[in-house]
Amino acid sequence: MIPTIGHASIVIGLGLTTYAVVAFVLAAGGRDERLAASGRRAVIGSFVAALVGCVAMVISLLTHDFSVLYVAENNATTTPAFISAISLWAALEGSILFWTLLATGWASVVLHRHRARHRLLMPWVGATLACVNLFFFAVMTWAGNPFALTAPVGAEGIGPNALLQNHPFMALHPPLLYLGYTGMAVPFAFGVAALVTKRLDEEWLRIVRRWTLVPWIFLTLGIIAGAWWSYEVLGWGGYWAWDPVENAALLPWLTATAFVHSAMVAERRGGLRIWASALVIATFTLTLVGTFLTRSGVVISVHSFTQSAIGPWFLGAILLALTLSLGLLVWRLPGLIGGGRPSGLLSRESAFLLNNVLFLGLTFAVLFGTLLPLLVTATSGDTISVGAPWFNTVNAPIFVALLFLMGIGPALPWGQASWATLRDRFAVPSILGAVVVAAGLALGLRSAAVLVTLGIAVLVGAIMIGEVIRGASARARGRDEDALTATWRLATRNRRRYGGYTVHVGVLVMAIAVAISSGLATDATVTIGPGETARIGAYEIRHERLVVEPLAADARVIETRAELTYTGPQTGSLRTALRDYPNSPTAIATPAVRTSFGEDLYVTLLASDPSTQAVTLHLFVNPLVVWIWIGGVIVGIGSTFAIWPERRRVAVAAAQPQRAPSVSPVEGA
Amino acid sequence: MRHLRWLLIPLVVLPLGLLLLSGFGRDPREIASPILGRPAPEWSLTTLDGKALGTDALAGRPYVVNFWASWCIPACVDEHPVLAAAHERYGDEVTIVGVLYQDDPGAAESFLARYGNAGYAHAVDERGALAIDYGVTGPPETFFVDADGIVRAKQFGPLTDALLADRMASILNVAER
Amino acid sequence: MTRHLPTIALGALLALAALSIVFSVRPGPEPTLSERAGALARELRCPDCQGLSVADSPTSSAREIRRQIDELLATGGSDQAVRNHFVARYGDWILLAPRSPLPWLVPLAFVIAGIAGMVAWLAGRTRPPPAASPLTAEERRGLREEAEALDA
Repeated sequence: MIPTIGHASIVIGLGLTTYAVVAFVLAAGGRDERLAASGRRAVIGSFVAALVGCVAMVISLLTHDFSVLYVAENNATTTPAFISAISLWAALEGSILFWTLLATGWASVVLHRHRARHRLLMPWVGATLACVNLFFFAVMTWAGNPFALTAPVGAEGIGPNALLQNHPFMALHPPLLYLGYTGMAVPFAFGVAALVTKRLDEEWLRIVRRWTLVPWIFLTLGIIAGAWWSYEVLGWGGYWAWDPVENAALLPWLTATAFVHSAMVAERRGGLRIWASALVIATFTLTLVGTFLTRSGVVISVHSFTQSAIGPWFLGAILLALTLSLGLLVWRLPGLIGGGRPSGLLSRESAFLLNNVLFLGLTFAVLFGTLLPLLVTATSGDTISVGAPWFNTVNAPIFVALLFLMGIGPALPWGQASWATLRDRFAVPSILGAVVVAAGLALGLRSAAVLVTLGIAVLVGAIMIGEVIRGASARARGRDEDALTATWRLATRNRRRYGGYTVHVGVLVMAIAVAISSGLATDATVTIGPGETARIGAYEIRHERLVVEPLAADARVIETRAELTYTGPQTGSLRTALRDYPNSPTAIATPAVRTSFGEDLYVTLLASDPSTQAVTLHLFVNPLVVWIWIGGVIVGIGSTFAIWPERRRVAVAAAQPQRAPSVSPVEGA
Repeated sequence: MRHLRWLLIPLVVLPLGLLLLSGFGRDPREIASPILGRPAPEWSLTTLDGKALGTDALAGRPYVVNFWASWCIPACVDEHPVLAAAHERYGDEVTIVGVLYQDDPGAAESFLARYGNAGYAHAVDERGALAIDYGVTGPPETFFVDADGIVRAKQFGPLTDALLADRMASILNVAER
Repeated sequence: MTRHLPTIALGALLALAALSIVFSVRPGPEPTLSERAGALARELRCPDCQGLSVADSPTSSAREIRRQIDELLATGGSDQAVRNHFVARYGDWILLAPRSPLPWLVPLAFVIAGIAGMVAWLAGRTRPPPAASPLTAEERRGLREEAEALDA
């Protein structure tokens, strides 16, 4: 009964979305408001359909309905309710259903929000979004039906993937990422609409600013959550392995970040318009490419749990979307050329241009590295690997250059900067940077990567502080306010700029933390018997006992647990284990992490000897890791601050001449 | 000349499409094996029955080395009858040897008890050194060695009757010469 | 003196950056066997993992490879001999980074080409400086910077 409802809702969603596409295209051609409105209602209807489908799947999971193939493969009678519920996105078919829910959700909200405005653009926005949703409904109908039935119905299911059960964080990480992925269709739809209607000025960019930043925030938090999960749960001691699934999330993030910056220039100065359109197309395409890579079975990945028939569908969608949107871009190219011209080599516009080049370089490098094994095998039949050593070496210089640019760029004026200005603005920060590098060398640091990153981080931080001080003191003098009030008022009246500064501060913090935690980490592999101790850094670890027993939460899982005590900068006890899940050949490691602001003590169990009760442990001391997560939170706060609607203000006299008619900040911006 | 810019589309779409398309039909975990055409590794291990077995005993005849594990389900279960049939049919000319891959001998015995023991020996690769020498990335993988000790064929993944016949042919021809 | 301070500061920063690079590239003390083993373990791929290095992997095949690395180094083998030992068994796939220099250079070439193209485009398109006005260049700059400080 429930599976039938679920399946029916998918087919209904398919029908509604098809109608929406047709309605919107006709509405755009004939400027028919009522058709557009009905198209909008159809999109909202498709969201309801997707919602019903998801609810039906969650109910099937919670009731362990093994007549549904997806439930039989991802659920068991012993699965706890919480895990059953989040198994909606545990495997391919369910995650596409969840993706469709979010995609139709975004479409519904956008179309409803702008239902009375931008009447030329919105039908095309609706048509594009409906097309994207149509693809996902079609995949669910013909290539990967979540409600496919099994016969005969088994009494027990295979159970959820072991990694999924190991940590409740799996409730958070995929939804964050998916909200980011699906949300990127919205700016894409506006970009397409702008190209189709030849409204190539900054109108669509103004509208799209918040619609890009919100999914960007989710994508950023999702990527950082993934890194955190990799570190805290997987047990190999690191947080980023350049696995294809990680790259799949990073690629659209890189182009989306470049797009956000390009949109700023295009909106205010009219330049970089081709870049803006091209980058928004690239972002959307890369969200599909990422999903394709990890779900089609074409590359090996931590996430390639199942290979399936949806590969060809996604490939077709990628090529079609790319062909059509590139075609649009090329068609309208004459109208996009000749935007604002940068007036000097050393100006903020040039900095933005260099920013795009570098981000594109990173995107190319990551894509190249991910696809190179495929290319080599296709051309020569050999198999090669492109792993973390390659990615780290190739990408590090580009990241450092971007970090440097992040500090210099906002401090450069629009238009040609004078050498005198630059010297005055960058003198003190340069001195501070040099002092830090010298101190590092004096303290014995020899890694160039760490020293250069630290120096640049201090340089950038000092420049930013200088900018804030300069702005706040100008305001304080002009309005007779004290420093703190001036800074706060300045920030809240310029949320975009100061939100941006905060995001950059967060990036700085993360950069320093990444450089130091990877450059100065220590690790050791030791084997100790009960009562013996091992040393790592300033810590002493003592092996108390080895316990082997079934898990309390799920008796099918056998846990081999080392219980240890430790002394040093932190003191206490910890347990690290290997868990044997019945449906997984290798045991899943549960590392123990003791976090402090200065460093993490990280212990993972590699092996145990039941006869001697000895354990083989991999010990790490990772400095400053917690600051990576803190930096991520700062980025989230900064970007939220940047898009937070400002209070309606009565028009103030003078101010700068604006290119667009003054629109209240709460309305479409 | 004005329309040159339209070339951008096929220039981007075609290479990307062809590249991604090339990945279909291939298992990305299958690696190009450098051992083909080279002498098979020498080894000396203990079987499940506790007897010694090694390449010195196998020399002079073609032999087949099949890496498997009791936890490798359903692939190793699927190919089990294929190997049993092979032992029946080719046993006079070719020696079939099973090698346990990261497995517990007790679990392997239970597997054989459940799915049938064809009668050929199974060596216990305790440390996994033999799997490394053969370049095995995961069970099941099967290697076909001719009478001169050269590895002539490899099967990545479970065997079927057809695949087995095809691989066998490469080592039987040598024996018949 | 203060007029030249910023230039000195910039020069000092660059000099220190160069110094730090020299320091890290200069060959340090001879690495110990365990350091060499650790470095090699980070270069080799774990055969039955999903892209992890042998150093990071808990599987038994990774453990055996690490043991073999230790054994090969202890009997006097060079780092390259260890790599060749495993490449002979698994092919180039076992190395986490490609041997050929070409893949390393392609992204670098891309970025350099991009920067070169950008510089060329900028140089060809910069506007000439604006015509003379009652304000001196110095005053104009100062005014502009004040306005920038209040820029939204």
